[in-house]
Amino acid sequence: MTLTDDELVARSIRGDAESFNELITRWERPIYALAYRVIGREEDARDVCQETFLRAFRALPGFKGEAKFSSWLYRIALNLCRDWIRRQRRAPVVQMPEGVDPSEFAAERGPVESIEDLVGRRQLSAVVEEAMALLPDEQRTAIILKEYHGMTFQEIADMQGCPLSTVKTRLYQGLTVLRRHLEKNGVALNKVEGVASSKVAGQITPRLVKR
Amino acid sequence: MMSETFTCGDPGALVSYLYDECTPAERRTIAAHLVICAACAEELIALGATREQLATWAPPDAQLGFSVGRDTSRSNVLRPARWWQRPMPGWAQAAAAILIFTTGLSLGALRGVTQPAGSGLQRSAAPAPGSTSVATARNDGNAAMVTRADLVAFEQRIRSEMSQSHPVGQNVTSAPADERILQRVRTMIDESEQRQRRELALRSAELVRDFDAQRNVDLARIERTLGQMDGTTGAEVAQQRQMLNYLMRVSQRGQ
Repeated sequence: MTLTDDELVARSIRGDAESFNELITRWERPIYALAYRVIGREEDARDVCQETFLRAFRALPGFKGEAKFSSWLYRIALNLCRDWIRRQRRAPVVQMPEGVDPSEFAAERGPVESIEDLVGRRQLSAVVEEAMALLPDEQRTAIILKEYHGMTFQEIADMQGCPLSTVKTRLYQGLTVLRRHLEKNGVALNKVEGVASSKVAGQITPRLVKR
Repeated sequence: MMSETFTCGDPGALVSYLYDECTPAERRTIAAHLVICAACAEELIALGATREQLATWAPPDAQLGFSVGRDTSRSNVLRPARWWQRPMPGWAQAAAAILIFTTGLSLGALRGVTQPAGSGLQRSAAPAPGSTSVATARNDGNAAMVTRADLVAFEQRIRSEMSQSHPVGQNVTSAPADERILQRVRTMIDESEQRQRRELALRSAELVRDFDAQRNVDLARIERTLGQMDGTTGAEVAQQRQMLNYLMRVSQRGQ
């Protein structure tokens, strides 16, 4: 039987470490992904992820269950990311970009994906990452929470401590900046000029055309 | 362009529609507007396409697997990496290598110097001056007094001194130390090689990207040039045709 997060939290508070380990197993990937996308550094994201669970573990007795456990975790992780960004701004260090491990690079060249596809995907991913880095922190975080963690506008508003309308504006502005950057970098977004608008109303996720 | 509840181009409403977080009534209103407003429709399509591209950005795989121990009262569970557990910066590794090398050299030098001055080993191991001092003294005095027993006793003394100055364990203890140093050096070399490999891979990826970008630019340029050539050729053909028409007209007029 799979226990819910709330049940696992209750058990963890009673001292059941295995339950907390189960929560870690459930949430470490999303938290790591969030930290990586906000911070952009693999190793630091791992540290943030670890620190998030450490803090959660220590603060667990004080967790009242007013919010979802995952929201609570996300909030801790975002605060840690914010601290990290602040530290980086205060003492900027020229970071060596985290390259690709040759063995990993070779391993990815499996028969299922041609080198061209792999390089194309990597390029596209790099362009997206680059574009995301251009966004102000609030817009980037809003987009990350929405796109990659499927949060509702209200959850993001609670997380960011701002009105719902601000979240929507951040998302809209962020997506607009991303769109311009992608287009500028040769990623063709499907523009259907002259297409009857009635087709659009029901379906707003057109197929993409890669130049 | 306005509908009852939707203002054309309202970002909030468009985003709500885009993420399907609006009431059915709002959705119907916006959908009806999109039918008549190409600008809003195109905007939504572009935003939707942008969202699709975002899916390509995935974080790299990482070894996570954090866990807490059974004893929850322990404060060392899930401990963040301490400073000595974090990877050393390059300069620190270089400094450590130099320090280890220097220490090794000093130890090697000291090993020779710190032998007891009067142990007899140096004298006995060293050539003529030290080792012959006893014999020469005796030779000077009374050479005939050196008996076989004296020689045996002298040999035993030297042997005992040698065994004292070369304890059995010495070689055994110094070997692991050297091994450790070698091990550290090897580790450092391995780490350095790994860094270089990573750097190489990164450069290769950049090279591929640059190459591709350049290729795209070149292709676009070639396409443009071809287009221009097509245009030029077309213009020439048109000119020739005009000329022919003119000649035909003139010749017909002459007839």
